[in-house]
Amino acid sequence: MRLARLRFTLQKYLRLYYAFFKASFVADLEFRANFITRIITDVIWYGAQIFTFEVLFLHTNKLGDWNVDQTRVFLGIVFVVDAFYMIMFHDNLDRMNTSIRKGDLDLLLVKPVSSQFMLSCQRISTAMIGNLGIGTAWLIWSIAQLPDVQWINLLWLLLLLPCGVLAVYCLRFLFSASALIFTQAESVMYLWYQIYRLGLRPDSIYVPWLRFAILTIMPVGFIASVPARAILEPASYGLFAWVLLWTVGLMIFTSWLWQLGLKKYSSASS
Amino acid sequence: MIAPVVTSLIEVAVWTGIFRGLQATTLGGFGLDNYLAYAIWGSFVARISVTWNYESKMIEEIESGSINVLLSRPTTFYEYYLFQFFGYKVVTTFVSLLVPLTAAYWFDLPVFLDRLPLALLLIFYYLILVHTLSFCVATIAFHLNRVHSFTVAKNLSLWLLSGELIPLDLLPDFWRGILLNLPFANAVYIPVGYITGRGDISLLQQGFMTTTIGIVFFGLLARLSWQSGIRVYTGTGA
Repeated sequence: MRLARLRFTLQKYLRLYYAFFKASFVADLEFRANFITRIITDVIWYGAQIFTFEVLFLHTNKLGDWNVDQTRVFLGIVFVVDAFYMIMFHDNLDRMNTSIRKGDLDLLLVKPVSSQFMLSCQRISTAMIGNLGIGTAWLIWSIAQLPDVQWINLLWLLLLLPCGVLAVYCLRFLFSASALIFTQAESVMYLWYQIYRLGLRPDSIYVPWLRFAILTIMPVGFIASVPARAILEPASYGLFAWVLLWTVGLMIFTSWLWQLGLKKYSSASS
Repeated sequence: MIAPVVTSLIEVAVWTGIFRGLQATTLGGFGLDNYLAYAIWGSFVARISVTWNYESKMIEEIESGSINVLLSRPTTFYEYYLFQFFGYKVVTTFVSLLVPLTAAYWFDLPVFLDRLPLALLLIFYYLILVHTLSFCVATIAFHLNRVHSFTVAKNLSLWLLSGELIPLDLLPDFWRGILLNLPFANAVYIPVGYITGRGDISLLQQGFMTTTIGIVFFGLLARLSWQSGIRVYTGTGA
């Protein structure tokens, strides 16, 4: 009985997500120049990340534990995780502040679905699907450049990439949800971006306490450092188990904190 | 005030990390303290020389048709936003200047404070170019319905070309030559390089020259773009 209800709920959310996807795709195609510019924008961002590391490697052979080929794999994972996050969550969480401030949240609260789901998944950036293709192509190319790659290790990505995407989602959601407390949360978003940047560099370059922090309190190390280790180094089962457990824990914590925040929420003027 | 402090701390963490990773004491002839000085001053200058809000506001005015109110005033759309933008940036600069100054003192970083006034002058001069570029992007809203992604694309391109990510002197000669001759290096590399001792007065002079050329070039483009836009504008929003 409980299983049937769970299946029904899951189907309902999947149908809803599919409807959101169709609506977003139609809306995106309505503004074609905007659609293409968004793809170009992300390509510039990818270019900036590649540029930074390639320039650094003109002056050194190693950065942290990795050489240039290994760092390119790391970047490939950054691009893929970022593309998934951008497709699924970015637009929604980007305007979450405004939604809360302007009272759009009030409308979502009366709907018979989770308000967290509605705020996080209503808008899908279909333009970014092209970027996912570019990121994936870069990742495959960079892995193919490695002299002794164990292709079987790529299976770890099936577990670790979703963890990376969900970790970014949870952290960003928590930052965006601060709009329940602060009326103007733009500076909080700026702080989020600065923390996110720490995840865009291999964790092995950081001092031990900072490395510990980005794998625990602010797990931006899950974005690419841990998945890259799964490909580039012998499997570290303890670390992978930690990533899985902490991601699940973070999702539960995010949901719990959101519910708690809603209890204190007293409409748009709060 | 917290945001620039955190930015500075993150810059320190990232560059210290990079140097740990390099397992070397210098990179391109400069030590860690030079890079910390560059990164901290770079993030401060970059926040001044970028515009998001005012460009969005200008686009919004054109998209919604509220520009009509401004068109009937005895000032131009360009000037109206230029002075607002300048006012905001002057206040922001002097308020947040405390952060890189404190960081430079705290970490004992190599900074030539006597060079600061001239560097700030270049930054404010460059802001005219920044605003002109924003104006060019905003006028696209006369022709297209949604142009906010152009702002993101433009700002990301400037970010890449400005030297905020990495000092331009680390680049191979060919690329360094090209980027230094573009006006966009004045957004970060040239003023910060001058303050932190990576370049001398000739670098700053080059900065003033490329900014002037940029203002003239994009000024003409802005004028053409405005004239073309206002010709198709119907007065009821784009």
